[in-house]
Amino acid sequence: MGKSYRFREEIVLGDLAFEVTGDSVSELCTAAALAVIEAMVDPLSVETNWTKEVRLSEANIEDLFFEWLNAIVYVKDTDGVVFHDVRVAVSRDSEKNLWHLDGTLIGDRVDVTRQALRTDVKAVTKHLYEVRQKEAGWYAHVVLDV
Amino acid sequence: MKLATTMTVNRLTDVVWEIPKTEKPGMLVPARIYGTETILGAMDAGVFEQVTNVACLPGIQRYALCMPDGHWGYGFPIGGVAAFDVGNGIISPGGVGYDINCGMRLIRTDLTLADVKSRLDALMTELFRTVPAGVGSKGFVHLSRRAFQDVMRNGARWSVEQGYGWDSDLTHTEEEGCLGGADPEHVSEQACQRGIGQLGTLGSGNHYLEVQVVKNDRVYDRHVAEQFGIHGDDQIVIMVHCGSRGLGHQVGTDYVRIFEKAMKRYGITVKDQQLACAPYRSPEGQNYFAAMNCAANMAFANRQVIAHQIREAFRRVFRQSPEKLGMRQVYDVAHNIAKVERYEEKQFLVHRKGATRAFGPGSPDVPEPFRTIGQPVICGGSMETGSYLLVGTAQANAESFGSTMHGAGRTMSRAQAKRTIRGATLQQTMAERGILVKAVSMSGLAEEAGIAYKNIADVVESVDTAGITRKVAELLPIGNIKG
Repeated sequence: MGKSYRFREEIVLGDLAFEVTGDSVSELCTAAALAVIEAMVDPLSVETNWTKEVRLSEANIEDLFFEWLNAIVYVKDTDGVVFHDVRVAVSRDSEKNLWHLDGTLIGDRVDVTRQALRTDVKAVTKHLYEVRQKEAGWYAHVVLDV
Repeated sequence: MKLATTMTVNRLTDVVWEIPKTEKPGMLVPARIYGTETILGAMDAGVFEQVTNVACLPGIQRYALCMPDGHWGYGFPIGGVAAFDVGNGIISPGGVGYDINCGMRLIRTDLTLADVKSRLDALMTELFRTVPAGVGSKGFVHLSRRAFQDVMRNGARWSVEQGYGWDSDLTHTEEEGCLGGADPEHVSEQACQRGIGQLGTLGSGNHYLEVQVVKNDRVYDRHVAEQFGIHGDDQIVIMVHCGSRGLGHQVGTDYVRIFEKAMKRYGITVKDQQLACAPYRSPEGQNYFAAMNCAANMAFANRQVIAHQIREAFRRVFRQSPEKLGMRQVYDVAHNIAKVERYEEKQFLVHRKGATRAFGPGSPDVPEPFRTIGQPVICGGSMETGSYLLVGTAQANAESFGSTMHGAGRTMSRAQAKRTIRGATLQQTMAERGILVKAVSMSGLAEEAGIAYKNIADVVESVDTAGITRKVAELLPIGNIKG
């Protein structure tokens, strides 16, 4: 299946929908993060002078994936940054019945003179929200409010 | 007529269409869509699906509505209006949107196009410098946590008390710029953190600040226009479109999460997760209402600070005081909001998502300057085609829960718009047509091209013919700031 994302332009005209795949949950979370980042800025125009660690734990993948994307939107506003790349590792603690995500956001402070900014992502919605395991890997569908 | 749905859509009048409640299991009331045949034919499939989903929500009254600028959103369609019984109905963040109290503000001036034309470049440069826009932009107002709580409680009044505006701005703002029942206790730490640095910022997407001109032949109701301070004669006005920024976005995010869990407790099921809701009278419903009002007040305060910045920019460019330039506020309206309103002696919680309140003459909620003529309604079109000033009617109170359209409404995806035209090309062609655009993002500019929107004249014609607002004046762009 491989790690990939694709924006779906035939739905939610004013907002942004995308579907994403990955061989593992880590890949799924990485690809989705890249889609959110790409909505906000051309990542190639962003330097790598800033990093932030994000750690999340949730009882199920749907919530973990959702909170991860929300964290990116939140950090964008509170730290005044845009992103170049991410690193994500997801693991499962079967004893506590929890999924853990260790993420690193890599980017720089917003600078309109150097970065190719796109649109502000306001929120990750639950409209047509879907995360599921398929035979060949993981699939998710997300609509962003922009 | 070919429609993007297989549902039965009955013609009630030339501009009002009804989907019977038999068309989808669970519909409690019919759904009604406003629009000419052309407008209805151009509606995407999402509108029909979403307005009928709304018709299934507990406590809904009379019908679920969609205005002619409607299109596929999340939860409610954009352009959606629904009223719920305050006793047994629900409240839903999906019926308000994440950008709580996204709205429009209009300021009139005594300047004319001839006064501005030679200084338009300097003016737009100054406005672009003065009003921060775009992804991650921060405002110039630095707030302590306590001061931010005051913003959430007092809205535009806070801004005016700090010197950002005039007392008369408040009487020319919906709810005088401050919704009661705002309680910061119900706003999360995360929401505060997102919003505290953003007062006085535009944001991006379809948000903008626009300098416009009113041509004599585009004043459709001269009597009402005069009451609103609009006289034509190439008069210059300024329009602002923005909302509650990160504070509202996070309040929406927080409460969708809370309501998803609450619905299980209250035995509520919805057709779309984004319609997550709770009984209005429940603790969760009341907490959201208190937090939503905080975000709404932040939006009123935000547009008030921006209005101040606009006046200061004009002062610097024209070397005259804003008072001398006649920069009085026409009005400020919310178009993403839920409010308790009275209809025929009953109280309803009216959700408007991409729809504007349009109270008619005599309504006690219309501020004194306009009580005998009706509420000003400000509708933003695309940056290429222009915007409209309308007036509310008694028919809106009787028929559409005092609601009407809010803008042009998209017909094209953002990606398709970007494929159709490049931002730099659009900026150049608009400059050739006399519209000067300053944008933080060239791709964002292309997404907002006029071709991506319905013809606003058709949309306005729909609500004018339906009688739920009347046309007052058309406002043509000459300068635009985009995030």
